[in-house]
Amino acid sequence: MQIQNVIATTDFCRYCLMCRHVCPVGHVTRLETLTPHGWGLTVASVKRGLLEWNPETVEVMYSCADCGTCRSFCVTDQPLPEAIAAVRAEIVQKKLAPPVVYELDEALKQWGNPYQKQAPQAAQGNGETALFVGDDAQYLWPSALEAALKLLEAVGVRPVLIGIGRNSGYLASSLGLPETAVALAKANLQELQASGASRLLVLTPGDFFTFTQLYDERLGIERPQNVAVQEVIPFLAEQLEAGHLKFKRSSESIPYTYLDPTHTVRVKTRVDAPRKLLSAVMPEPGREVFWREVRAHACGDTALQFTNPPISRHLTYARLGDAAETGARKVITEDAGCLNQLSQHAPTFGLEVQGLYELLAGHLI
Amino acid sequence: MRGGLQIEMIRSELEEIVGPHFITSDEADKLVYSTDWSWMPQMWLDRGEWPAIPDFIVHPGSVEEVSAILKVANTYRIPVIPWGGGSGTQGGALPTYGGIIVDLKRLNKIIEINEQALTVTAQAGINGTQLEWALNEKGLTLPNYQASSNCATLGGYLAPRGSGTISTKYGKAEDMVMSMQVVLPDGTIIRTPPVPRHASGPDFMRLFLGSEGVFGIITEATMQVDYLPEVRLLRAMLFDSLSNALEAGRRIMTRRLEPMVIRLYDPASTKTLVKEVLGLDFDGSYVVLGFDGDKDIAALQEQKAMEICLELGGRDLGRERGEKWWNHRYDFYYPPLSLKLPWMYGTVETVTTFDKIEALYWAKKKAIEETYADWNVRYIAHFSHWFHWGVMVYDRFIIEEPPQDAREAIRLHNRVWATAVQKSVEYGGMINEHHGVGLKLARFTRLQYGTAWPLLEAIKKAIDPNGIMNPGKVGFGV
Repeated sequence: MQIQNVIATTDFCRYCLMCRHVCPVGHVTRLETLTPHGWGLTVASVKRGLLEWNPETVEVMYSCADCGTCRSFCVTDQPLPEAIAAVRAEIVQKKLAPPVVYELDEALKQWGNPYQKQAPQAAQGNGETALFVGDDAQYLWPSALEAALKLLEAVGVRPVLIGIGRNSGYLASSLGLPETAVALAKANLQELQASGASRLLVLTPGDFFTFTQLYDERLGIERPQNVAVQEVIPFLAEQLEAGHLKFKRSSESIPYTYLDPTHTVRVKTRVDAPRKLLSAVMPEPGREVFWREVRAHACGDTALQFTNPPISRHLTYARLGDAAETGARKVITEDAGCLNQLSQHAPTFGLEVQGLYELLAGHLI
Repeated sequence: MRGGLQIEMIRSELEEIVGPHFITSDEADKLVYSTDWSWMPQMWLDRGEWPAIPDFIVHPGSVEEVSAILKVANTYRIPVIPWGGGSGTQGGALPTYGGIIVDLKRLNKIIEINEQALTVTAQAGINGTQLEWALNEKGLTLPNYQASSNCATLGGYLAPRGSGTISTKYGKAEDMVMSMQVVLPDGTIIRTPPVPRHASGPDFMRLFLGSEGVFGIITEATMQVDYLPEVRLLRAMLFDSLSNALEAGRRIMTRRLEPMVIRLYDPASTKTLVKEVLGLDFDGSYVVLGFDGDKDIAALQEQKAMEICLELGGRDLGRERGEKWWNHRYDFYYPPLSLKLPWMYGTVETVTTFDKIEALYWAKKKAIEETYADWNVRYIAHFSHWFHWGVMVYDRFIIEEPPQDAREAIRLHNRVWATAVQKSVEYGGMINEHHGVGLKLARFTRLQYGTAWPLLEAIKKAIDPNGIMNPGKVGFGV
């Protein structure tokens, strides 16, 4: 159900400091303003006439990563990310959002993605299982999709591909573009419905969050109740445990670390699955970073890469720095958006980046 | 009054120290840094009024940069306010005279975890919970579990002499600190001796504990840590008589049974907070007892404590209810479970010896409830930080419909505080036990220290002749 009066949350959060320790933007900037309570107080202060929306305060509001870490640690589950998205929508309506937001709106409306002037490919066929592809997997890191399909095939799953090159709606929602987000969501759900699938697989925790929570809470869209949503990585881990998936051991001895993707904190039950899969392939256990599992920080993807590239870069550097500190020389993750961000800066930290799907697919028996 | 030209001169010098990316005077930043976790500035903002704001917020990246900032501040006679997490409740980090807020969070490195000596050395800007997580990965803990740990910093633990949930066994933050690095108001960087217990002259480290930034800026500390305990045993009790519950606590402490926690809620707190947050509905005083460490020793200590409680009429509510409290002990701080605006509230806590605490509690309760009856004031309390000689009462007043006008609200607020503090001192208590003095209690330090106050003023004058360090706090003037 769509959260009502969500902006009222900011009055709760403005003077609460209980999630400050986990906010990735607060962590890399150290600026009080760019923390959950800072965003809450900024909104509350505009409401009370102490501040007004101007380029400076709008930049503050567009500096949140919308990663969900604050809410995931809130004992009373305050939907601050949802409130910030709603505030951004008000800012957009007032024509005060950063110019890039309006440019992205045009791109999302016309092309369904912010990367290429190319319309989504139509979904074809029907079957029991659909797989949402999205825009990141299609344009930023296509090898992840290829590898995921190979892995699924190995366990007898040939999904109908939907949303090929189309954003899930998360980016639009995060930017404060709810109407565009609704249009994207509905297009994806129509393809899902047309596929006849009773199971929807998604490639990342971000997509899982979008389909199971964002559509409902932020956009008021109910997904079909007869469709179960599951992430591919946990699905594969189940198959491994059931003996349906087998891997050969890698001979590579390079120390590595697995980075939980952005939005992992929103889907806490998925943290063991990638590690189980890696332990079936890698000869040695991975090294664990500090910001991992239920406190995994954002990678610098999300809307922040468009609205505040310096902070986005800081987040990426922070994750790579965290990885480098373990002594790892390779970083592994599965999210295409994360892989794209990390790979741009990994060499600076003496690291190489590898996709988890590709690693697993390359060791299938 | 600092004019525009002078402000720009100061800015130029600060930029040359920290770099242009680590200084801000943006309006939104100034507003956010104008409040900490205290009611006064929060209410002020809530009513649509601007509190005092800083001129600049800087983020130094090294102790040398902190030193250079203080030298500049002395040159221009501009106030300096150290800022850790901004989680103080007494207004200690408020820029009441403007000036430079020195946010220490870039100084957030762990320098060393020494598993032989069981110490951790870290920069003062490190977040409390992040430090704890790093220690936990080695099976260690810094047993200073403050409710504010998610936002407080190591320096913020020490500067106001903070205390955590298990202070009853492990002590306050000031009991855990081995040594510190401090930048004095003139920019001199000093280190205190490497161990806290010695006979090598006066213990000047303690000068900075409780100084709340008026004597300098803590930039690094070495803290004693502990192994994570083998067990933590929690149990809940219920007493019909608050007096008996207090006596049970006294006996447990004076017989050195070493509980990690005794949390005793008065009947009013039991009926409100415990019910609202934990969903437990009892009449009487709800008590949580906790013992940790070696499993056999903890079990024996708990058994002995239980005998005392039962002898004094306590009813055993079982382990589950105690564990529930432990697992949800910080839930009280999350809205909407926490006290929040538009209510007026304050934690008028104090500490005194066992022979005085009960009389002090009743006297404060009576004074506040009677004097402010027209405001339908509520007084609730729990007893939480216990010592061999006494206990702290964490008492609070709540007024649900305070004046709407910000100035009238502050005046009422200050009168209630004055009533509470004066009663505390009259009955042998301190003006504060672990939240500090800050701005809110600054006017009471003379009452507290009497003829000793001029000594502290003389020290302040000697250390900070230009009066730049956090002016208006802890009772020191501009």
